Amino acid sequence: MNNTINNDTEIYEVDKLTILDCEKLKFKQEDSGFLTLEYDGRTYHKVTPTRLIPFYSKTTYISLSYENEEKEFREVGVIKDMKELPEQQYKLLDSYLEYKYFMPEITKVYSIKDNMRGAIFVKADTTSGQKTICIRDWYQNFRMIGYDYLYVNDADGNKYFCPDIHKLDRKSRQVLEMLT
Amino acid sequence: MNLCISLPDNAAEDIIYSLPADFTPEGEKMNGHFCVTKEKIIVYSQNKILNEYKISDFSEFICLRRTGTSIAQGITVGGETVCFCGFTQNLFLRFAELLKLLDYYVRTGELITETDGDEPSCPKCGLPLEGAKECIYCTSKGRTMTKLLKRIAPYKKYFAIAVACTILSEAIWVLTPYLDRLIIDKYVTPKYENWGGFIAVVITITLLLLLAGVFEFFNMKYSFKVALNLGKDLREDVFEKSQTLSMSSVSKRTAGELINRISSDAAKLEDFITANGKDAIVKILSLVIIGVLLFFMDWRLALMTVLPVPIVFIIVNKLFDTMSVRYTKVWKKQTHHSEILHDILNGIRVVKSYGSETKEIRRYSDCSEEWAKSAVRAEIMWYLTIPISEFILTIGNFFVLYFGGKMILGHEMTLGALIQFTTYVAMLYEPIRWLIQIPKNLADASVSAGKVFEILEEESELRDCENPVKLDIKGDIEFDGVYFGYKVYNPVLKDISCKIRQGEMIGIVGHSGVGKSTMINLILRLYDCTQGEIRIDGVNIKDIEQHSLRSQVGVVLQETFLFDGNVLENIAYAKPDATFEEVIKAAKIANAHDFIVKLPDGYNTRVGNKGYQLSGGERQRIAIARAILHDPKIIILDEATASLDTQTEKQIQEALGKLTKGRTTIAIAHRLSTLSSADRLIVLDKGRLAEFGTHEQLMKQKGVYYKLVMAQRQTTKMKKAVTIQTAEA
Repeated sequence: MNNTINNDTEIYEVDKLTILDCEKLKFKQEDSGFLTLEYDGRTYHKVTPTRLIPFYSKTTYISLSYENEEKEFREVGVIKDMKELPEQQYKLLDSYLEYKYFMPEITKVYSIKDNMRGAIFVKADTTSGQKTICIRDWYQNFRMIGYDYLYVNDADGNKYFCPDIHKLDRKSRQVLEMLT
Repeated sequence: MNLCISLPDNAAEDIIYSLPADFTPEGEKMNGHFCVTKEKIIVYSQNKILNEYKISDFSEFICLRRTGTSIAQGITVGGETVCFCGFTQNLFLRFAELLKLLDYYVRTGELITETDGDEPSCPKCGLPLEGAKECIYCTSKGRTMTKLLKRIAPYKKYFAIAVACTILSEAIWVLTPYLDRLIIDKYVTPKYENWGGFIAVVITITLLLLLAGVFEFFNMKYSFKVALNLGKDLREDVFEKSQTLSMSSVSKRTAGELINRISSDAAKLEDFITANGKDAIVKILSLVIIGVLLFFMDWRLALMTVLPVPIVFIIVNKLFDTMSVRYTKVWKKQTHHSEILHDILNGIRVVKSYGSETKEIRRYSDCSEEWAKSAVRAEIMWYLTIPISEFILTIGNFFVLYFGGKMILGHEMTLGALIQFTTYVAMLYEPIRWLIQIPKNLADASVSAGKVFEILEEESELRDCENPVKLDIKGDIEFDGVYFGYKVYNPVLKDISCKIRQGEMIGIVGHSGVGKSTMINLILRLYDCTQGEIRIDGVNIKDIEQHSLRSQVGVVLQETFLFDGNVLENIAYAKPDATFEEVIKAAKIANAHDFIVKLPDGYNTRVGNKGYQLSGGERQRIAIARAILHDPKIIILDEATASLDTQTEKQIQEALGKLTKGRTTIAIAHRLSTLSSADRLIVLDKGRLAEFGTHEQLMKQKGVYYKLVMAQRQTTKMKKAVTIQTAEA
């Protein structure tokens, strides 16, 4: 140990993109809630999956990372498309991601009230029940991504979305039209 | 804040805190609770115990914020991480507070059972208060407007004159139709050729009209005086406030947004006051007077005139909500426009160097077009309602003419009286039209007023204590158990304790993002630490007057910002009353004099944005001269030489050496060689103070610092990552 400052002999190549082979990936959910990953003969504990382009796609380009003993960020690699995972594995990873990126979908908008100070109150049906969502600085936190996707970030930091506002009912569309 | 929101059914009796929890550790949705007793943490799901933990098994508690949900974690004494439960973000602040209490509990053995009354969000609208006592959003619109009107107070004399003049000129306007009636009824209709009387009335009318003109002039003069002064006050106040706000408040907003608030929002309010401030009084007064006159003359005709008014009112008020949203949208687009403008012009070098001018032109025109479009949409809506409402409004006039004409034919009314009446009716429409415009103007102005007052009323988080000390700083700095995070729940610096002696040069090293600059921000008191104390010469930094503190600390940053002005002004920035000789001396010490002499206009060469382009090293030397002139007791060098080449760095180092001599100096540098002259080094790692000592001591320790040095020696040879194999060599 005298001369070594780290017994991890592997070189972590920061500049290399590793696309993971979905066949070799094996996830396991621990009781602590964390994911453990077996890949290519190595076991990684507390793996954090991250959606690299959460607004564009939920199941493609998923980065898997962990912290080494030095608490440094280490990326195992990137899953290009989760579809290539075996079904069981897909379900496990998807439910973990859905939990991490928990984001109720807006299904109907009843009314939007503006307090004239940059905050709005949106009464809406979401997949987590009916809610009045308060949004501060709505011009930042209530915005369209592209032409269809509505992204909402409420005052507490909860996120909501609507994948295509043009598919909502007429009344909702009319209410939304004012702000989008 | 309330940390015992809802208890599970048949819960244990000794529960002190209980918060609802929405997810199991595995991430399944549940209707559960996270409860804390004196010994245990109990997680309930559907009112049944899911898991139980002993608090004494843990050494640390963490509230981890994630994208959609957050989780409560504990780290056991054995170093294992345990996830208790997950929850949605609206509970985040409460969980963060509770876990902080638990963390404090395991560290000190003291469990705080009483939490203060500060609630995280407004009970009325649910928006987070962020430390404010009252929800700024729930204060009524009327109150914002009253606040605006209160600002007229300093100009009440002018305001009174303006109002008086308007009332007088209004009175003349009310009087003239009566004189018209006299002419028609007494002289024109009966063809009565009494020239004396006729001319007397005509002269009176002419004189009155002249007088009205005079009153009008004074009215305009004084109302503009009030409005322009009010606008000036607002602009100045918002600007002053933006300068005194703490860094964390300022960094919340983009420069473009601040510019918009200072210039355009204040201007809008100024317009609103000019157009509506005194008008409100006068218009309402004339409405009442003319209304009474009309009813007094003939109540039936008067009724016909006012009957359509409520209908128009209802239509326009219905549109109010829509209008306000559209005007907010215009505001949004306008702000976005300023932001983009600021963004592109600031990054003009990047734009040019990537040849993306056309792209940026398109980006700008798109956003400019959107602004115009949204404004057009708002205005069109408004101007669509105007002709329609105008027609309905004046419909009464036709009835008046019809029935009035009939009355004249039936000798119930004279022609003069009808003309007087219709003139009054026409005059009545003016204040009514104004009243109808009010919703639009109010909507527009209250958006701006809200924005302006939001800044004006923001409480600075950093305030001087009641009796701040004006300290003559010697230069001892002490960190005592300092914790700090830009977000309370996410500490960047943890438990930093160290003593820096007067005159010492200290280098702070560590990976990027480890909290080096944060430590400096704390010494400058741009932020307050969340726990612990920073002492300068034994005095708590919070007790030192902020101005006195900062006037004795000099800073040289990586990028020096030169204000628009000449070299002399830029050096003398920190000490405007310095003599020219002092400035030259400072420039000499900073090795700046020589290159300044070579500039086309010497010390009067204009630098800054529009001026002579100086090189990075030259700017840095001006900054050093500025700092030398400032004669600070504590000097902070934040990557002062990072953007310079080695040759220039050497020259700057030399200049810095003269600056730092005998003064307490704290330097941050990535290039460790830069810190070779440091007496001692503070090594930060993961937010904690990992090592503190001289270069030799730290190299012997073979710890974090040693690794950093080795890694840096390697980077030149091998660009791939950090490690080790080579470190063995």
